[in-house]
Amino acid sequence: MVSSVANARTRLLAGSRGKLLNATLFLIIAIAVIILATKVATLGPAYFVQILVYGLANGSIFALIALGYTMVYGIVELINFAHGDVFTLGGFISLWLLPTFGVTEGGSVSGAGLILPLLAILVISMVACAVVNVTIERVAYRPLRHAPRLTPLITAVGMSFVLEGVMYLWRGPFNLHYPNVLPTAGIELGGANGPAIGFKDLAVIAIAIVLMVALSLFVERTKLGKAMRATAQDRDAAQLMGIDINRTIAATFFIGALLAGAGGMIFGLYYNTITFDQGFTAGLVAFTAAVFGGIGNIQGAALGGLVIGMIQSLSDGYFDTAWTQVLIFAILVLVLVFRPTGILGMRVPEK
Amino acid sequence: MQKRWLSMTAVLTAIALVAAACGGGGTSGTTSTPSGAAATTAATAVGEVIIASDLPTSGADASSGLPTQNGAAFAIAQTKSYKGITITFKPFDDTVNGVHDPQKGAQNVQQMLSDPKVIAMVGPFNSNVARAEIPIANQGPLAMMSPANTNECLTQTFPYCDPQPAALRPTGKNNYFRIAAPDTVQGPAMADYIIKTLKLTKVAVFSDNETFGKGVADNFVKRLTATGGVLTNRSDFDWKTTNDFKPFINAAKAAGAQAIYAGATSATKACIVRSQMQGILDVPFTGPDGIGDDQCLKDSGSNTANMYFTNAAGDAAQNPDAASIVAAFKQAYPKASDLGAYTFPAYDCAFILVDAIKRAIDAAGGKVPTRQQVIDAVQATSGLKGTVGTYAFDANGDPKSATMAFWASKGTPAVWTFQSQFSVGQ
Repeated sequence: MVSSVANARTRLLAGSRGKLLNATLFLIIAIAVIILATKVATLGPAYFVQILVYGLANGSIFALIALGYTMVYGIVELINFAHGDVFTLGGFISLWLLPTFGVTEGGSVSGAGLILPLLAILVISMVACAVVNVTIERVAYRPLRHAPRLTPLITAVGMSFVLEGVMYLWRGPFNLHYPNVLPTAGIELGGANGPAIGFKDLAVIAIAIVLMVALSLFVERTKLGKAMRATAQDRDAAQLMGIDINRTIAATFFIGALLAGAGGMIFGLYYNTITFDQGFTAGLVAFTAAVFGGIGNIQGAALGGLVIGMIQSLSDGYFDTAWTQVLIFAILVLVLVFRPTGILGMRVPEK
Repeated sequence: MQKRWLSMTAVLTAIALVAAACGGGGTSGTTSTPSGAAATTAATAVGEVIIASDLPTSGADASSGLPTQNGAAFAIAQTKSYKGITITFKPFDDTVNGVHDPQKGAQNVQQMLSDPKVIAMVGPFNSNVARAEIPIANQGPLAMMSPANTNECLTQTFPYCDPQPAALRPTGKNNYFRIAAPDTVQGPAMADYIIKTLKLTKVAVFSDNETFGKGVADNFVKRLTATGGVLTNRSDFDWKTTNDFKPFINAAKAAGAQAIYAGATSATKACIVRSQMQGILDVPFTGPDGIGDDQCLKDSGSNTANMYFTNAAGDAAQNPDAASIVAAFKQAYPKASDLGAYTFPAYDCAFILVDAIKRAIDAAGGKVPTRQQVIDAVQATSGLKGTVGTYAFDANGDPKSATMAFWASKGTPAVWTFQSQFSVGQ
């Protein structure tokens, strides 16, 4: 259904009106790029590199969240609105675990000694988030699998509020300070007063890349990954081939939440602040990233996340933060109007 | 099937009830206070008047709102009745989801107006809440007495004010008073402090883009650039959606900033910026009274050295005449978190109102005065000595003289420590 509408749309755009629209889009992008280029030229290359690194780190976090949206959409055609809050939950659980593992800001555990406890916390938070997400799927989505499409969408919004409520009750509405435990040193560009690429930025980017490569290997190479792809393509045929649909869908939710949970912890370590309702905005931005890359498309979500993160940092760094949200959601609108299937194309079952 | 519907309806009703109970928390009547502020002697009373308060007392804002409310409650508890008319305290909470909310504040004022016993209010705390409340209270008319509002456009006419103070007062008469020095004093005070005391000139400025934060930042920048300082760069953040302040910090670093000025409050993420400065830019972090609380020190993590804020009110501990009141307060409210930078200013606000109500009762021949009579009595206040100042008001509702104090973070773990204060005539 969805893609036939999309095809019709594409055909329509091929007409003269489409050319005009495409020309307008090109013009808008060109103007934005020219303004940006002049600003980049005045502020110098070192600052530009700095902003790009922030953009990559930002984008890595968005990509981790976007992957969960896109995987779930690909397999059950549901926008899991609770996903952004599962991401927040990862931050809350890891924040709670940090002192248990002896990791405190300015504490005795530092340097290389941090690697093991942080990895352990990362894994526990990821698994905890995954279990929560699978439970949500079991309780709120599976009983509604054959209900009209709108019904699970509403329970998803409901689950989002439930999770936010639980975190509100747990830690209150404050901005919570997330300990700044990663080393603050970095590679200096252009002297002591110039910009620097922090170890923090590199760590965030590295963790995200490792997780994303692991995910794509899993989906490409393993039996369960194959089952997921088959289910996404045609659920009924997959069931006829002997694939346990419920288990496969649960696995999708599990893996999506693993990545979101990791994203939550990385977010805390990177920005040093978490709030119970941050998942709402982060989720929307990540969803935009997923749509941008082509919803249902795993590579698309990763690319979309990076691009949106980069746009955010460029806008923060060269224009004004007040424009950042406007830009990101303007992109969502433009993508939906001009390329409803996203940059890399939607991967949804043909029906 | 019917059974299922029944149970679902029951669950929904239960949720609705809980929600109603939570939502109504701020208006559910008089909160009991340790010293028994609400104690009334109905037998002998010929009347009752209520002084309400509207402050942000739950959620993130509670760290500054609750200590303020304590001060007002304590002051009103000192005078239980006058000439047979009991004076009681009724607090309202203007937060929604833990953050001060102008609409909620406006609703609270409407509730106060609907209760004929409410004849004056202490508050609000936040300037944007005041902007929403003044027009409603003005039509009451209900005397408002704020301990902490500092935005200059609430009382004074400047070309850049939107709305103008006159537009906030539909009846054309003033009903709003405050004891804090306006941001035309607070912003410049920190600019002077940075240039003269800290001996720095290049400053990067950000704000939370709210009535208060942006206003105080504008005033800071005006004085800074007028007295030889340099504004390196400025950002006005949409604080609800921004978590990444590093591009701003790096732009400040690239431009050689020697200090940061935060036109924001702890509740609008001011001190998250301090935390993210760690490892990038190690310069003093300064701001207005909005960052002078525990939440800010917590948000800054281990990066708490070299932080400064201005308080638009004096420190009661510097006033020897107030020592006995401070001691009595500490006995009634023993916890450290009960006392904040605006506790004694709020005490003074309630004290001024009680004093005015007494005079209004006298003027009304021992009867309950009208709300307008209370406003007139407040306006006529002259030379009244409180814990942090001596009060009289000009026609705009501003204090004729006010105090500005400087505080700095000292020690590990850091605590806010009083540095110095000065008086300003309007």
